[in-house]
Amino acid sequence: MKFELFSQEELLQIHQASVEILKRVGIHTTSERFKSLLLDHGCEEHGDRIVFTEDVIEKALKTVPPSFKLYGRNDSHVLEIGWKKAYCQTCVGTPSMMDLDTGEKRDATVKDLEEYTRLADALDYVNIISPIFPRDVPQEIILTIETATLLRNTSKPLSICVESARELPYILELLRLVAGGEEALREKPIATIPVSPLSPLEYGFDPAEALLDVVEAGLPLGVEPCPMMGSTGPMTLIGTVAQHNAEILAGVIAAQLLKPGAPLTMSSRATFMDMRSGVGLWAMPEMGLAGAAMNQLGRFYNIPVAPGGYCGASKTADAQSGYEHLYNALMESLVGSDIIGSAGSLDNALTSCYAMLVMDNEISSVVQRTIKGVEVNEEKLAVDVVAEVIESHGNFLAHKHTRKYLRAGELWVPPLGDRQTFEKWAFTGEKVEEKARRTAKELIATHQVLPLSPEVEAEFDKVIARARQIEMGE
Amino acid sequence: MSREEILTRLTEAVIEGDDSLVVELTQKAVDAGVEPLVIINDALTKGIRIVGEYFGSGQYFLPDLLLGAKAMDAGVKLLEPLLVGTSREFHGRVLMGTVQGDLHEIGKNIVGMMLKTSGFEVVDLGVDVPAGKFIEKIKELKPNVIGISALLTTTIGRQKEIIEVLTEEGLRDQVKVMIGGAPINQAWADKIGADGYAEDAITAVEICKKLVAAS
Repeated sequence: MKFELFSQEELLQIHQASVEILKRVGIHTTSERFKSLLLDHGCEEHGDRIVFTEDVIEKALKTVPPSFKLYGRNDSHVLEIGWKKAYCQTCVGTPSMMDLDTGEKRDATVKDLEEYTRLADALDYVNIISPIFPRDVPQEIILTIETATLLRNTSKPLSICVESARELPYILELLRLVAGGEEALREKPIATIPVSPLSPLEYGFDPAEALLDVVEAGLPLGVEPCPMMGSTGPMTLIGTVAQHNAEILAGVIAAQLLKPGAPLTMSSRATFMDMRSGVGLWAMPEMGLAGAAMNQLGRFYNIPVAPGGYCGASKTADAQSGYEHLYNALMESLVGSDIIGSAGSLDNALTSCYAMLVMDNEISSVVQRTIKGVEVNEEKLAVDVVAEVIESHGNFLAHKHTRKYLRAGELWVPPLGDRQTFEKWAFTGEKVEEKARRTAKELIATHQVLPLSPEVEAEFDKVIARARQIEMGE
Repeated sequence: MSREEILTRLTEAVIEGDDSLVVELTQKAVDAGVEPLVIINDALTKGIRIVGEYFGSGQYFLPDLLLGAKAMDAGVKLLEPLLVGTSREFHGRVLMGTVQGDLHEIGKNIVGMMLKTSGFEVVDLGVDVPAGKFIEKIKELKPNVIGISALLTTTIGRQKEIIEVLTEEGLRDQVKVMIGGAPINQAWADKIGADGYAEDAITAVEICKKLVAAS
């Protein structure tokens, strides 16, 4: 199933605009490594900017792998990135949490990280897990603690966004312990590592160095700038998309120049400024439209895409959240998305919410069902079945064809939503967000995560102790 | 054009956010012999006040506000060399910057522009500013308020660090501290002992005024 937002001609026009931005404006970076890599391969220095040439762009885009696989820490989770399967990924980096008991917003804690990760592990249609940002751990080693906590509470693939290369050695060490060594991790990566340069077109020292280190380590990279229409991007959706595409391509090109064939995703995050409050919106329809636009560009380049989509401006897991998340995620998946991020988020990706993650699991289920499409063949068209039922004066209920396809999953079963008769529903009168909260509590209380071996656990403690010692002087 | 007419049209040019017209009319006013301070108070500041009112009533949006401020600024820049000897009165001096390790500045810049147009003297230290730099500049410029901005969840800890260093240096009671940034909330401000936090630029100006009045 493939929808298109743009004609081929329009797509070329957007591509040309991005190329022109790269050739005329280029990027700025304070990383000498990043800079010399680009210059050594034919980019040029214009004042304090590095501009790209048609040759460099063309050469680098040729070597991007159109697909790669992402693994869980046991063999049951294998994700095929590049096959447009719309894998659902939890929101990274939210510093706040909706309390599961009180429903109030508060600081995220490491206990939240454990329980939220375990919840995500239990939800069938949440496929990749990214960490929330607990406030009660030493911030110097936050990513190290997050990575260890994620690995202890889920066996699903991870996505660990890094803002600098500082903690990367510990993250890699933890991942290698679980994967069974450096080579094994490269062969079967269990995490993608996105980095987020600044918009417009700024590869600051930290993200630039991190990008290079992730590529060196051989893990799948995410190039994830986050422009805001009207403030760090032009006040037109397509203008922001063209700029966003250019800044993502700059990172993609750098990665390919460093290591041709390095796996990566275009992790678009085009957001929009509310022009009264200045708030950065991750709302509909712009978020979904821009994500869909970037997805079509990804298809055009044959590069996997991973936009944010399970997001909106609503402050609670309510009806507004439901329709915002569904709109954005569905729009993006229809045009073709490998990963859709931000699941479980509220308030423009600033807060995570247990109940919302359960609701996003439901939305992800219907999104993944939708993009499977509707198969057309003789048996499914069932002309013979229609004839037989009419001839026998019966109905379809008592036909074997009905039972066969019911068992084959022809009828979508909502993991969460209510489909009872009115009377049965009215007995409790439970709203979907209440049911989601109840489900979250039950799953956290009962779900068992595949444990790490005691040996690996012990090694984890050593890595954290060492990080503490080196980064905090303890 | 009479002097009044020039000043009226200059006020309108600020409201329209037309910086080149502001420069042109400011020059006309100077040529017609209007005192620079009168131009600032009776046209430029008046214009930006009306822009603020339009914003408050929902007629104007952030781009209108920033273009108005930019236009006003263009006029003030032209008049500054002529102001020697006379002094502009400010509500107070605000020193602002984004913390070390963070390059995000859009929010800080909006607040800075709003403070400027509300009659504050604003010194912007830019982005990636270490605590030491804040301290050094506080000693040098003696601001009434400092505004510390951070966007990344991993850099907001720097706001706490700066307040701690201020206390260590014995400067904490000499300056009010405001903090801001998308992940910041009142609870965080209370926790680290900041004097003010605002969730948007308009509220930031109100709080800044209160803090200066109380100091």
